[in-house]
Amino acid sequence: MQSTPHRTIVTRHRRLSRIAPYLYFLPALALAVTFSLWPFFKTVVNSLSIVNLSGRIVEFVGLDNFRELSASGNFRDSLRNTFRFTAMFVPANILACLGAALLCYRKRRGTAFNELLFLLPMAVALSSAALIFKAMFNPTIGIVNWILGIDVDWFNDPAMAMFTLVALGVWLDIGLDFVLLLAALRNVPTQLVEAAAMEGANAWRKFFSIQLPMISPTLLFVVCTNVKDAMLISAPVMILTEGGPYRSTQTLVYQMYLEGFKSGNYTLGSTIGVVVFLLSVVMLLLLFRFEKRGVYYA
Amino acid sequence: MTEKLVRKTGPRHRNARIVTDFLLPLVATGFGLIVIFPLLWSFMASFFPIGDFTTWPPRLVPSRIEWDNYARAIKESMLLRFMANSLATAAGGTAIRMTVAILAAFAAAFLSFKGRDFLFIVILSTMLIPSDALLIENYLTIQRFGLLDTWFGIVSIYLLAPTQIFMLRQVFKTIPHEFREAAAIDGCGDIRFLTRIVLPMARPVALALTLQSFTSIWNAYLWPLLVTNTARMRTVQVGITMLGFSESLDFGPTFAAISLVTAPVVIAFMALRKKIVEGVAASGLVG
Amino acid sequence: MNHATKCIARICLTGCIALAAMWSLFAGGSKESAIKNGPTEIIWWHSNSGLLGQATDTLVQEFNETVGAERNIKVVPVFQGKAADVLTKLRAVMQSKNPADLPDIAQLDATGIIDVRSYERMIPMEALMSEAGYDLSQLEPGAALSVTYKDTMIGMPFNSSTILLYYNKDAFRQAGLDPDRPPKTIEQMAEYAKALIVRNAQGKIERYGFAGVPTSYELCAWIGQQHGVSYLTDMRNGHDGDPTKVVFDEDGTMEVFLTEWKKLWDSGGLANLTSSVTQEFAAGKVAMIAASTSNLTTLLASIGDRFELGVAYLPMVVEGADSGVNVGGGALFAFDRGLQGHKEAVEAFIEFAVSAEQQLAWHVGTGYFPVNLGTYELEEFKAHTERNPLFQVAIDQLHDSDPRVQGVWIPSGYQVYYAFQNGIRDMLENNKSIPQTVQDLATEINKYISDYNRMNR
Repeated sequence: MQSTPHRTIVTRHRRLSRIAPYLYFLPALALAVTFSLWPFFKTVVNSLSIVNLSGRIVEFVGLDNFRELSASGNFRDSLRNTFRFTAMFVPANILACLGAALLCYRKRRGTAFNELLFLLPMAVALSSAALIFKAMFNPTIGIVNWILGIDVDWFNDPAMAMFTLVALGVWLDIGLDFVLLLAALRNVPTQLVEAAAMEGANAWRKFFSIQLPMISPTLLFVVCTNVKDAMLISAPVMILTEGGPYRSTQTLVYQMYLEGFKSGNYTLGSTIGVVVFLLSVVMLLLLFRFEKRGVYYA
Repeated sequence: MTEKLVRKTGPRHRNARIVTDFLLPLVATGFGLIVIFPLLWSFMASFFPIGDFTTWPPRLVPSRIEWDNYARAIKESMLLRFMANSLATAAGGTAIRMTVAILAAFAAAFLSFKGRDFLFIVILSTMLIPSDALLIENYLTIQRFGLLDTWFGIVSIYLLAPTQIFMLRQVFKTIPHEFREAAAIDGCGDIRFLTRIVLPMARPVALALTLQSFTSIWNAYLWPLLVTNTARMRTVQVGITMLGFSESLDFGPTFAAISLVTAPVVIAFMALRKKIVEGVAASGLVG
Repeated sequence: MNHATKCIARICLTGCIALAAMWSLFAGGSKESAIKNGPTEIIWWHSNSGLLGQATDTLVQEFNETVGAERNIKVVPVFQGKAADVLTKLRAVMQSKNPADLPDIAQLDATGIIDVRSYERMIPMEALMSEAGYDLSQLEPGAALSVTYKDTMIGMPFNSSTILLYYNKDAFRQAGLDPDRPPKTIEQMAEYAKALIVRNAQGKIERYGFAGVPTSYELCAWIGQQHGVSYLTDMRNGHDGDPTKVVFDEDGTMEVFLTEWKKLWDSGGLANLTSSVTQEFAAGKVAMIAASTSNLTTLLASIGDRFELGVAYLPMVVEGADSGVNVGGGALFAFDRGLQGHKEAVEAFIEFAVSAEQQLAWHVGTGYFPVNLGTYELEEFKAHTERNPLFQVAIDQLHDSDPRVQGVWIPSGYQVYYAFQNGIRDMLENNKSIPQTVQDLATEINKYISDYNRMNR
């Protein structure tokens, strides 16, 4: 509805506004290509070839690297450990965070203090937390062993080392996940809960029939991010256990770091990288499937 | 219907109320203290002289206050420099990251131009590629550009946040068309529209995402470890693990360093607890 | 402020921060400054922390204040983490096209040799030092050989160490063993380990005789000292060129070792620990360990007066295998950064660092043994060893060893390390036969070698 005197201004605007949108997209696109798409392409190409110590491709070998990888006991250990960690970590974390949220969502006296207690781990950075846990589980200092009254050699016993990682993982995530689930629980309309109570529902029914479905979108989000973080875990492994003892805590990304950076074996590193990518995609798809069937949107 | 109307009386409901009003919070406090224990212990241990670490049964409280731990933590490491690096990279990186995200989300939500949807999918597709899988190649890229040991090198892979772009676009799309048209009639250009109308309306989400960006860059470990060669440029996460005090059993200075690094954030959290809890609730991630 | 102003302020702030971030592109780098008249800055990447780090700083300070001040040289030490981290950084920089990113000197251990030995910008120490007229014969022959590749000394031994047996003298006394007669062979060690076991009321072992799982580090000695001199791989453990296969299976040396090691396991006093081993020893939970001489000062500090520390030669694998141990630890390597005057500066610092006096100070502060033969003649050295007889043991062991026993330069060093550890533990805890273990180890390690050779033809 422009009037004639505005036409020249409008035309100038129009020309500018034709390139402007692309300019808005430009930084994001440039970053996407430089740090995501192009390196991904190169990693895939590397995984299909043999790469030397300087990073240059020596020859193209197709799927040979993948075939060798699947036969490698080392890799199978990484795979198994990563899945084991995920299977232990996700339920433990959900239990802890959901449990804490359920204890705190009603606003009573002392709730503010409790919220703070569960929130604080978020204030502690990953490497600091890892160092603290490393000292706590240390057999010589033994504070964990003494408090629990047991005598477990956490870092020397291949069966137990994984637990330290899970404990650390839960501690690191509890802050954020707790807050998310807390907010979700508080968003459940009280009328629904009270209505159920009036009809004689006990706490379990209330939870499973009302609260759980109502918080399911957030819960799914938490589960998704937990699974993704678990599959990709590397920093805690590096600081806490260094993949040991006897490779019992060596995870996929950690092995990728070992091979690619410490051993200079870029071929193997890239191959594992591609596997990590494929696994992430598969996990994501599975979770989306679950979303269609399990999640209730109000 | 308010809660009061539905409130029941009678012994059964009074018992239920005792549970919800007293027992549950008490249990929560119990668990909370367990959760906090590592923090408390590490703070106590930052004052342990070396002998305290090897006694049995283990000590919870220092036998005497070893201030030297703190002196050593500051003197023998570049702790302050590490924190400066972390602050600079987290703040600068967040600023650039949010700018990139807001611009892209704005274009995706309000403007229509050829190839918009295709390019948007291209940007979003990077969500599927975990950056951990690309460490080696990204490292070689940074190295080739000579960006090793620079702040920019440290933040480089964190500047693109496809999930945030997506969420911002969703929020932007909830702004009714009328606003845009009215703004256009008033001769308001795109940028003005963005800053004066869109952003204020999307403030809670934008703030929540800013906080999340800052935290994730602050907490990053593996990538900053790889791209920094000199102690001068290390971030606090990397620097703390290199303090090397724990070669022997002398953990005191390490815990002192951890306490120094964590204290400001803990205090901030204590002060902002309410804002954090409410901010997350409003961020649209929930419900 | 109303909303609009707030947003504009925010955008401005964003812009400023972004600008500052971009600017830091140039401000954050570690490029050498172009100050012409400033001192020549020599950058040294090292992996010494804790007490070792303090000794490093003292050394550098000494240099900067004396020779450095005279010749306008300033050495800047940069702690890079463990030796592995120094290597990781170095490798990355080696690939870049910018030689100025290199350090002038890097401290590397055996795992790093493979990467740098064929690097065109590495200046072999033999060439660098002889050019300046330095007499290389003043160095310990075993140490010099440990960094010799194809008959050229490519690095300068600096923090040289050997492996030692550390033991708890008080525990020996408690078990009725003579604290001044430590075990001489692995078989004897097995007997001692059995006597040293201490159980608690429930029958659980509270103190083990020996703890540790041998890996490439220990095996270089325990394999190397057999039949006069033996090697883990061909090409004399990689010192003559890239190894092509392992030889511990063909030579039968691994079988001999595993047989003896099994005796230790059968004694019941062996704990298969892989982490916190020195800490457990310092806490008194293990009576004997095999560790590097570089742990000596730290262990003394950790033990305090909890018990009396004893130090001995590493037990021989079998009677008669008396060729001793190999020199390990790290060495200094020089790199050509393409900068004027740096070569001479590096030479000056190296000469200082391995001089008789400085090696004495280094030895006293760290427990690494002096690489300069002249140190042994100094009065202060003799006085120091009299006061601290423990330090003398490592030196005696070195001088009693055949210098041809060498460490191994093998690709995928970490995986090989884990391969040995896992293989040996597997044999012990899962009752695998010795010949099978030898074969499995050989297969696994040969694969790493052949993969590397295929990739780096």
